[in-house]
Amino acid sequence: MSEPVLTLRGIRKRFGAVLAVDGVDLDLQAGEIHALVGENGAGKSTLAAIAFGAVTPDEGTVDAKAVVGLVHQHFQLVDRLNVWENVLLGREPRRGWRIDRVAARERVRALATEHGLDVDPDALVENLPIGVQQRVELLRELERSPGVLLLDEPTAALAPTEIASFFRTVTALAKAGTAVLIVTHKLQEVIDYSTRVTVMRAGRVVARYDTSATSTDEIARAMVGGDLPPLAERAAIMPAPRLTVRNLVAGSGGGELVDGTFDVRAGEIVGIAGVEGNGQSALADALAGVTAYTGTIELDGVTLASAVTPAARLAAGVRVIPQDRRNEALVLGWSVAENVALGRHQTAPLRRGVLLDDRAEATATQEVIERFDVRPPDPRALVDALSGGNQQKIVVGRALGAHPKLLVAYQPTRGIDVGAATLVQSRLIEARNAGVAVLLISFELDEIFALADRVLVMCGGRFVGAFDRANVDRGRVGALMAGAH
Amino acid sequence: MAAFLRSRIVRDLGIALIVVFGVGSIAMLLAHVSPIDGFSALFDGAFGTTSEFAETLVSATALLFPALGIALAFRAGLFNIGAEGQLVLGGLAAGIAGVFVPGPPIVSIIVTLLAGAIAGGLWGGIAGFLKARFGANEVIATLMLNVIAALFATYIVDGPLHFATANEGETPLLAHTAWLPTIVPDTRLTISIVIALAVALALRFVFNRTIFGFELRAAGEAPQAARRAGIDLSRIALLAMTFSGAIAGLGGATLVTGVLHRFNTGLSPGYGFVAIAVALVGNLEPIWIALAAFAFGILQNGALSMQAEANVPRDIVNVIEGLVIIALAGRRYVASRRTT
Repeated sequence: MSEPVLTLRGIRKRFGAVLAVDGVDLDLQAGEIHALVGENGAGKSTLAAIAFGAVTPDEGTVDAKAVVGLVHQHFQLVDRLNVWENVLLGREPRRGWRIDRVAARERVRALATEHGLDVDPDALVENLPIGVQQRVELLRELERSPGVLLLDEPTAALAPTEIASFFRTVTALAKAGTAVLIVTHKLQEVIDYSTRVTVMRAGRVVARYDTSATSTDEIARAMVGGDLPPLAERAAIMPAPRLTVRNLVAGSGGGELVDGTFDVRAGEIVGIAGVEGNGQSALADALAGVTAYTGTIELDGVTLASAVTPAARLAAGVRVIPQDRRNEALVLGWSVAENVALGRHQTAPLRRGVLLDDRAEATATQEVIERFDVRPPDPRALVDALSGGNQQKIVVGRALGAHPKLLVAYQPTRGIDVGAATLVQSRLIEARNAGVAVLLISFELDEIFALADRVLVMCGGRFVGAFDRANVDRGRVGALMAGAH
Repeated sequence: MAAFLRSRIVRDLGIALIVVFGVGSIAMLLAHVSPIDGFSALFDGAFGTTSEFAETLVSATALLFPALGIALAFRAGLFNIGAEGQLVLGGLAAGIAGVFVPGPPIVSIIVTLLAGAIAGGLWGGIAGFLKARFGANEVIATLMLNVIAALFATYIVDGPLHFATANEGETPLLAHTAWLPTIVPDTRLTISIVIALAVALALRFVFNRTIFGFELRAAGEAPQAARRAGIDLSRIALLAMTFSGAIAGLGGATLVTGVLHRFNTGLSPGYGFVAIAVALVGNLEPIWIALAAFAFGILQNGALSMQAEANVPRDIVNVIEGLVIIALAGRRYVASRRTT
C-alpha cells in the first residue's frame, strides 16, 4: 500500500472525567472510503474533530499530507445567506474591495457540476431541504480541494433517495483519489459503500476489517462487545381492531396527507414505509391531536373528537413518539424525572389533587431507567447532558409507562446507536405482545421489515400498498415508495 | 461546596458585585469623590440607623412584589414589562377600597389588599388574554397597558372619583382600619414584608410541587414539547399573566396601605421596571429574588445619603443598576450561544 495521506498515532483525548479517545492509531489511504463505526459516545466524532484539527489531542500526533475537509453532523451553514455565499464564505473572489458576485456564482456552479451536485447557487439556505443543505456543506469543503474528506454521520438526516445520490458523489471523489472517512451508525451503508472499517468502543479501536471480508453482524458484535440481544419474540396477534382511520386529510404546504384509510389491530405493529415528506408527519400530527384534519379517527369503536386538543388524545390512550426528540418530546433543561412526568402529570398516580406526587414520579422514573437501561441511571441528571440514545429511551419509556392503547412511533431509532436501537425495538415488540396497537413510521426499511406485522406504503400523501409480514416484497415496497404503480 | 461556588447564581452574584464596586468606584473617581467615602456613605444610609435599615427593607419589599410577578411570567416564557401598570392599578383599587371599606381591621385590610390584587390581575390578564386569543406579543401589550394605567389612574382620582378632601392626584387618607400594622415602631416597615416573603415561599412551592407550576415551567422552557404533552399553552399564558399582574397589584396595594396610606399617582418611582432586573438577578428563583430585592433596596436607599453626605450624584446608582442588568443579560446570552 502507498503511503497514507493522513496518519494518526497514539491519539488520546480527555474531556473532564471522560476519556473520549484512548490511544487510537488510524491511517487513511488515498482513494479509500474508510468507515468509522461505534456506539454513541465511542469517540468517533471526537476522533474526526482531532483529525480535522478542530480539537487538539492531549497526546499523539496528526500528520496530514493534504488539505483536510470536514462535513459536520449538524450543518454549519448560515441560514440567511444563499448557497454561493455559504460555499465561499471567507474565500470570496474579489474585484478591488468588492466581492465579485459573477465570478463567485460561476465558481460554485462549476464546482457543483463537476461533482454532480444539483444546487442552485442563488437559493437561500434556510429554504432548502436537508438533503440539499448537505450538498452545500459538502461543496464548501470541496471548494478547498481536500485530499482527505471527513464525513460525520452524513446520512443521518437524509431520505433514502438522497442517500443514494450522496454516495454516488462520495464514490466518485474516492475514485478521483480523495481519502474519505465516514463516521456512521448505519451498518448497511458501511457494507455497501466502504472499503475498510474501523470499529471503536469506549474510546479504543476494537476491530478493523476489509469491508469485503466482513458482515453487518460481525461489525455490530464488535461495536457492542458481544452478541446483540435478539429482538423480543412476537406473540400471536389479537384480532380486535383498535385504531380505525377513514379518509383522513391533514397538513398543508407540502407533505400533506391526502387520503388516510387504514386499521391497526390491538397487538399489531403496522409499519408505514415511505420516503420522508410523503404525508407521514401530517398523519402522526393528526393522531397526536396537534393539527386540524377532516375524516375520522376511531379508537376501540369510539370516534375521537377532531378538535386540536393533545390532552384529549393522551386521555384517550394515544401516545406519540414525535419526530423531533429535542424540541417536541423533551424539556432539555429538565431532569430525567421531570421529563418522565411530562405528559403523564395530568392523571393519577403522578397527579395528586393540585400537586405533583414526588414519590410516584420517582417510581415511574425508576421504572423507565431500569426497563430501558438509561445511562447514567440518575433520575436527577439533566436530559440535555444525555446521549441521543438515552434521551430516546426516556421518550419511549415514558410513553409505554403510560400503558397506551395506541402508540405512534415516528422514527423511534433515528440517530441512536445499535445497542439503544435494538432495546427500543424490543420494547416496541413487547408492547405489541401486551396488546398495544403500534403504528411505526420509519424511513429505514430494515426497521420496518424487522418489526412490522403489516407494511403499508405511503407516497404522495396516499396509501399505495399493503403487505402482510409473510409475503412482503422488498423490491415492490421500494418501487411503490418511489411512486410506481 | 465546589459545585455550589461554580453554580450560575454564585457566578452571577460575583459579576454583580464586581460591577457594583468596580464601576461604582470608577464613576466616583470621575466625580472626584473617594470611593471609600462614597460607598461608606451608601452603606451608612442603608444600615446606619434602625429607621434607615427599615427604609431599606421598605424599598426591598416594594421591589420584591413586582419582581415575583415578573418571575412568574418569565418562567412561563412571557416577558411581563407591565408590572408597573399593574402595580399602579393595584394601588388605585386599594386606595379606593380602603376609603369605602371601614370595618374591623382584619376585614378591612384583607378586602383592600384583595382589591389591589384583583385589579392588577385583571390588568395583567388583559395582556394574557390578547396573547392567548390572538397571539399578541405580550411585551408590546404590557408596555402599552402601562401608559393606559398611569393615565387612567390620573383620570379617576382627578375626575369621577375626585374627593373634596383630597389633593390633586391623590385619594383621601384611608380609614385607619385599613392601615397595615408596623413591625418596627415609628418606621414605615409594616407586615407587607412578611406578606412579600410569604408570596415568595408560596411561589417556590407552586413552581416545584404543583401541577400548575410544572405545566407553567414546561410551557416556558419547551413550548412544543409542552403542547404535545397535553398542556394548554393559551390557558397557561392567560393564567400566568393574570397571576403575575395580581402579585404586582398586591405590591401596589401594600404601598398604599402600608407606606402612603392613600393612593397617589406618583406611587411608584418605577418599581415595576427595576423589578425586572431584580427578577433576572435573582435568576427567577423566588428565594434568590428576595435576596436580590434586598440588594437593590440597599442601593436605592443608600443612594440618597450617598448624594447628601458624599456628594455623589444618586444617578450613579441607576447607572450601576443598568450595568448589572447588561452584564448578566450578556453573560446569559453568551452562555445560550455556547450550548446551541
